[in-house]
Amino acid sequence: MKPLNKIIKGIAMLWMLSAFVSCKKYLTEIPNNAVPSTAAITDAGTARAAIIGAYDGLQNYYASNYPTLGTITADNVVFNGTLSQYLQLDQNAIPTDNVTTVAAYQGIYSMINTANSVIAFVPSVNDPLLTNDEKNKILGEAYFIRAIGYFDLGRGWGGVQLQLKPTTDLSALKGIKRSTLDETYDQVLADLVQAEQLLPEDAKTRNRAQKSTARALRARLHLYRKQWADAEAYASQVISNTKYSLVKPYGAFFTAPFLSNESVLELTFSANDRNSYWNLWYPSSFGGQFTLKPSAGIVDKLNNTDIGGARKSLIAGSGNSVYGVLYNTYATSTDPAYLIRIAELYLIRAEARAQQNNLQGALEDLDAVRQRADVAKSTAVTKAQVIQAIEDENSVEFAFEAHRWFDLVRTGRAGEVLGLTNKDFWLFPIPYQDILSDPDVTQNPGY
Amino acid sequence: MKHFLQRSAVFVFVLFLSYRVMAQTAVTGKILGENNQPLENATVQLKGSKKVVLSATDGSFQLEGGSKEKKILVSFTGYETQEIPVPSNGIISITLKRDNRQLEEVIITGYSTQSRKFIAGSIVSVNASSIKDIPAAGFNQLLQGKAAGVQVTSNSGVPGGGITFRVRGNNSINASVDPLYVIDGVFVSSSDPVQTSMGNQQQSNPLADINPNDIESIQILKDANATAIYGSLGANGVILVTTKRGRLNSSAKININAYHGWSNAPKKFQVTNGPETALLANEAAYNTAIDNGQDPSAIVLPFPKADTLPTYDRINDLFRTGNTSNYELSAQGGSEKSTYYVGLGYLKQQSIVKPSNFERYSARLNYDTYLSRRLKVGTSINITRTWRNVSSNDNNPQGVINSALFVRSYLPVYNPNGSYAKYGSFDNHLALINNLNNNAVGWRSIGNIYGEYVILPELKFRTSWSVDRTDEYENNYANTLISAGVATNGSAASYQTKNQVLTNEQVLTYIKSFGSGRKHAINALIGNTLNSVLTEGTTATGTGFPSNNFTAISSAATRSGSSSRSEAKLVSFFGKASYTFDNKYTIDGSLRADGSSKFGVNNRWGYFPSGGLTWRASQEEFVKNLNWFDELKFRGSIGLSGNQNGIGAYAAQGLWSAGANYLDNPGDAPTQLANPDLTWETTRQADVGVEFAILNNKLNVIVDYYNKYTYDLLLNVPVPLRSGFASYLQNYGAVRNKGVEITLHSDNINTKEFRWTTDFNIAFNNNKIEKLASDIALGASGRNISILRQGYSVNSFQLYKQLYVDPETGNAVYDDVDKSGTITSADRQIVGNALPRYTGGLTNNLSYKNFDLGFFFYFQQGNKIMNMNDFFLVHGGTQRNIGFVPRQLERWQHPGDITDIPRMTTYSGDPTINGGSANNYGGSVASLSSRYLEDGSFIRLRTITLSYSLPSSVLRNVKLTNLRVYVQASNLFTITKYKGLDPEVSSQSANQNTAGYDWATVPQPRTIQAGINLSF
Repeated sequence: MKPLNKIIKGIAMLWMLSAFVSCKKYLTEIPNNAVPSTAAITDAGTARAAIIGAYDGLQNYYASNYPTLGTITADNVVFNGTLSQYLQLDQNAIPTDNVTTVAAYQGIYSMINTANSVIAFVPSVNDPLLTNDEKNKILGEAYFIRAIGYFDLGRGWGGVQLQLKPTTDLSALKGIKRSTLDETYDQVLADLVQAEQLLPEDAKTRNRAQKSTARALRARLHLYRKQWADAEAYASQVISNTKYSLVKPYGAFFTAPFLSNESVLELTFSANDRNSYWNLWYPSSFGGQFTLKPSAGIVDKLNNTDIGGARKSLIAGSGNSVYGVLYNTYATSTDPAYLIRIAELYLIRAEARAQQNNLQGALEDLDAVRQRADVAKSTAVTKAQVIQAIEDENSVEFAFEAHRWFDLVRTGRAGEVLGLTNKDFWLFPIPYQDILSDPDVTQNPGY
Repeated sequence: MKHFLQRSAVFVFVLFLSYRVMAQTAVTGKILGENNQPLENATVQLKGSKKVVLSATDGSFQLEGGSKEKKILVSFTGYETQEIPVPSNGIISITLKRDNRQLEEVIITGYSTQSRKFIAGSIVSVNASSIKDIPAAGFNQLLQGKAAGVQVTSNSGVPGGGITFRVRGNNSINASVDPLYVIDGVFVSSSDPVQTSMGNQQQSNPLADINPNDIESIQILKDANATAIYGSLGANGVILVTTKRGRLNSSAKININAYHGWSNAPKKFQVTNGPETALLANEAAYNTAIDNGQDPSAIVLPFPKADTLPTYDRINDLFRTGNTSNYELSAQGGSEKSTYYVGLGYLKQQSIVKPSNFERYSARLNYDTYLSRRLKVGTSINITRTWRNVSSNDNNPQGVINSALFVRSYLPVYNPNGSYAKYGSFDNHLALINNLNNNAVGWRSIGNIYGEYVILPELKFRTSWSVDRTDEYENNYANTLISAGVATNGSAASYQTKNQVLTNEQVLTYIKSFGSGRKHAINALIGNTLNSVLTEGTTATGTGFPSNNFTAISSAATRSGSSSRSEAKLVSFFGKASYTFDNKYTIDGSLRADGSSKFGVNNRWGYFPSGGLTWRASQEEFVKNLNWFDELKFRGSIGLSGNQNGIGAYAAQGLWSAGANYLDNPGDAPTQLANPDLTWETTRQADVGVEFAILNNKLNVIVDYYNKYTYDLLLNVPVPLRSGFASYLQNYGAVRNKGVEITLHSDNINTKEFRWTTDFNIAFNNNKIEKLASDIALGASGRNISILRQGYSVNSFQLYKQLYVDPETGNAVYDDVDKSGTITSADRQIVGNALPRYTGGLTNNLSYKNFDLGFFFYFQQGNKIMNMNDFFLVHGGTQRNIGFVPRQLERWQHPGDITDIPRMTTYSGDPTINGGSANNYGGSVASLSSRYLEDGSFIRLRTITLSYSLPSSVLRNVKLTNLRVYVQASNLFTITKYKGLDPEVSSQSANQNTAGYDWATVPQPRTIQAGINLSF
């Protein structure tokens, strides 16, 4: 009996002992699909992965949320579904916890945090595999991404809190109040200046930021700030780049293979990185939800050969079930997100020229866009008529992209056109969670 | 070893000899208990011999080898053991004297057993017989109403579906609130392995993998004194399950159980018919036009001929009579040195809403053997295969119920060409019922081997090695006839999920009584545990299939896959000691130290002490002299226990996570802020209790008061979104639960032929968030109907409080909380919560001769239910693709109408005007009105059972020991004010903080069943 006794006692003792000794090692567990934030950007590989992560953030809010915010809120798209967040947007009665506005706001800041990390840590990466050119490219892309983030926040929510450092702990947040819209746009401009300097330019890239991409966004920024001369100048720089052209027929840019000459910036999706935004546009017979439906007004315009012309290809179906087909890859879910098209630069320059009383030049640009869509030249004569014609053209040309709402708000016409006379509701509400958790934030008036 | 074998052989030989020599006389007899009730399975032993027999159902026994010089020992749980000389004729009738039944049992506590009368902790024991035959898959579900302080709610009526199980309230906000389940010493996983999305509903009850019929008893450890020994795992209570084992020297006993049940829905959904729907839609269009200032004569109604519209019934297509079949076969017994229990089970249960099903095959082997007199080894193995036909309901527009309930009733089910018609975002309910192909097959293996070595008579060493492994394999195929598959020409997903819990334990136990008259008793133990929890998953998806005949992902045109892994470890050391003086006073204490891999490097170790005092006042002379109490015991305890479950394995680390890809390049992005100080949340619990028995033990009462304070909550504190993060996990906040529990057991009538017992329990719990960084609002797909706010209980609902519908205008008027004169988000307020004020059960058992009648009520009071079906289907016309429920017909129509349903309109003018028509269904309020919040209190006849057991005289002739047939009804009726289908519902249960929603959920079935139990 005794040997057995001893053996068991021995095993028990050994166990206790080894448990004590190896505790620390035993209790150290690390994940296999993440890295510690302290080692997130240390070499060429991680620097590249980080900027890709920032693009992924841009994809996240442009796949469906931001285009929805720019369309259903205005008059081209109406609510036809069951999910109340879209009904709220359609009615312009947006609660502070509206799912779409919250998701977009959160997505943008999350992307900005990634971009901030790239801007903060990539300069100090010391890796021979990371050439200076590539470093600059990555940094330029990060500046561009931050710029578009703050631009989209500014035009949606007004002047916002400017986070320019990566969040490594929460103390970095303290005391940052909301900036004015001008201050937000100043930050966008500063980042775009950096981006333009650092970014490369080649003859084919359309789904990552390039010098021209930064200039295009800058043209748009100046347009929003009514800095007409700058808007014209930067739009011209992009238009003159032979890499871009108005493609014909109109439908070519949203037909696979994508990345047509039309695109200044489009975000590519793939079988492993899907965009199922079509699902909100297509009827259930295709497996869609048909939540977003072209309004009767835009259907009439698109069907009118004098207004829509070739842009009729944006819709399909008939009668009561006309649906939008800008996002149409229902079998594969690979529609790109269209951020900047060359047509927009023409219309930016047209508007900037008209505002500077260069009506002739304005009409040239306007007609370039119209002719591409097989629509006759504009008959507008006076400055007011030309500006109205440009607004109408924008509405049809970008019927289902994130334009119409922001254009009407930018030009102060949302009251007249949409009947939304209370200007408080021209801005989206700051998310409810932030009102609860952030002592430094103030809600937009009216919410 | 050789020596040992020799000794054993001699020992067996001697035994054999003694058996031969003394076999001249046989003792036969009958063992009776109180009121001459025969006692089954009483142990009869010849003193000084190892030979033991068990009495039959009628109390009879036959023991070989008696002789006049010998005495026999007769014992039975809850009765005093008697020692009786063998009578000369060898025939004897023994009546055992009842001990204090409630207070005498030996119960299993953490890592040891102890007599109930000395235990300072609050522990409820539930005997398996009180939960048998109820047609529910999980044993935890069966505990509803059976134990004070344990709140159990089935989240839906889907068989094998998720349940809510709380011991003494919700302790936590972001960490788990589920108790620790320990089955035969194995820490079992209660995490849900099913991956198929169910619309925020908890998909399955992982404890449904255990066949309830294999269970011998269940102990629920509630207070800190009982749970502190489980340290960082114990704060939410511990459920200890002991499965059946054989007994030494008992002949084989074979049990067969079978039942069949038929279930239906006591109440079905109702929607407005075609003409009513059109009438309401017309009214909405008309009123909206008026609100917009249009000329009434110019209004074009959407349905000019409303009363000609057809009605298509979809609701009746959903429901069916669900069949439940259950078959069980078990055998138990033992030889001189080893014991065994073998159980096999099969259960198939159909949901009353098509097409969900649940099926379970289970097998269990429990085996113990003495290798020597000192060394015992044994094993418990449970293998289960479950199959679920998963059907998504609740918050999923493409779920079966949604597709039938929400679609307007005048719309045809089929297109003119015969294909399934689909509307809005909804699928076709028949397409789903006929084509859903979501198979979840789970294999669960729970195994344990142990060795127990008696070093000294009072010192025992035990080592135990366990594994609990769940493999869930799901294969879903959406063909081209249902929405999920139409766009992509078929869509398939396959999930392989593995949960593995490994536990190793060593315990050294010391039990000794000493001193004169054994006045001093010591019960002590020390031990350690190593525990690791591994979760791994592999997912593959495919789209684009040649035809619906191909369902394997290998045949898909586009395929992708993913895998994940996480592992957490725990190292623990613990000790516990209790000292009893003179059977009167007991003092005990325990301490456990835990180190966890989940926490920050600065705070990895936690220490959990507890202490308790017991005073058996009934042992005092002055109490005895009162002659009131048969037993009187006071106990009090205080201690700490911890919680680390429910947070991620790497929760303390600052992380950049992969998968943020673009252009098919790998990317990563920040996903989690580091918190190197992260540590346990701790629950400090004080408990005082009194237990007494009066009226000759006819009435047993247990009363407990507890006060639990949980601090350093593992809280996902919402952070400003501008940080790039949504929340930050930190130890912040506190929750208090306090309450009273009362348990009564009464033997009302106890005669030879008629017996009536009543069990009653009721538990009051008050939950309050004592400290929180800021409000946390969540629930209902971003509608934030649930809120966590300091000063209020968890699971509170925040809505706009509707004061009335203005009889003049028909517009809803809401409480203007901030008195601003307008309705904005600041006017939302807490208008109730989903937690019941009290819950309880009432069980009555009556037996007359061979008939037994039992009925069991469950009740809960004070909880609110957010009726999301009304929220969506009383929409005033704002939802063009959704129909109405009859409640919409109660809308205001004419000046002077008194109702709580405002005037139909979709007007969207200024949303801030209180009493303006924009806020009736849209506007700032967006239908988040208290008019959809209802009282969810109910009392329900959970089961009523009538059974008949064949008398033993008949049984003997057919060589059976037991034959019982019964009929039973479950959920026969429910008394409630709730207007939805069933008040026992929680559709958003995937998150513990969003309880109390009713959202296109399968109701609890009403079941009639017939069954038979057979033993021989």
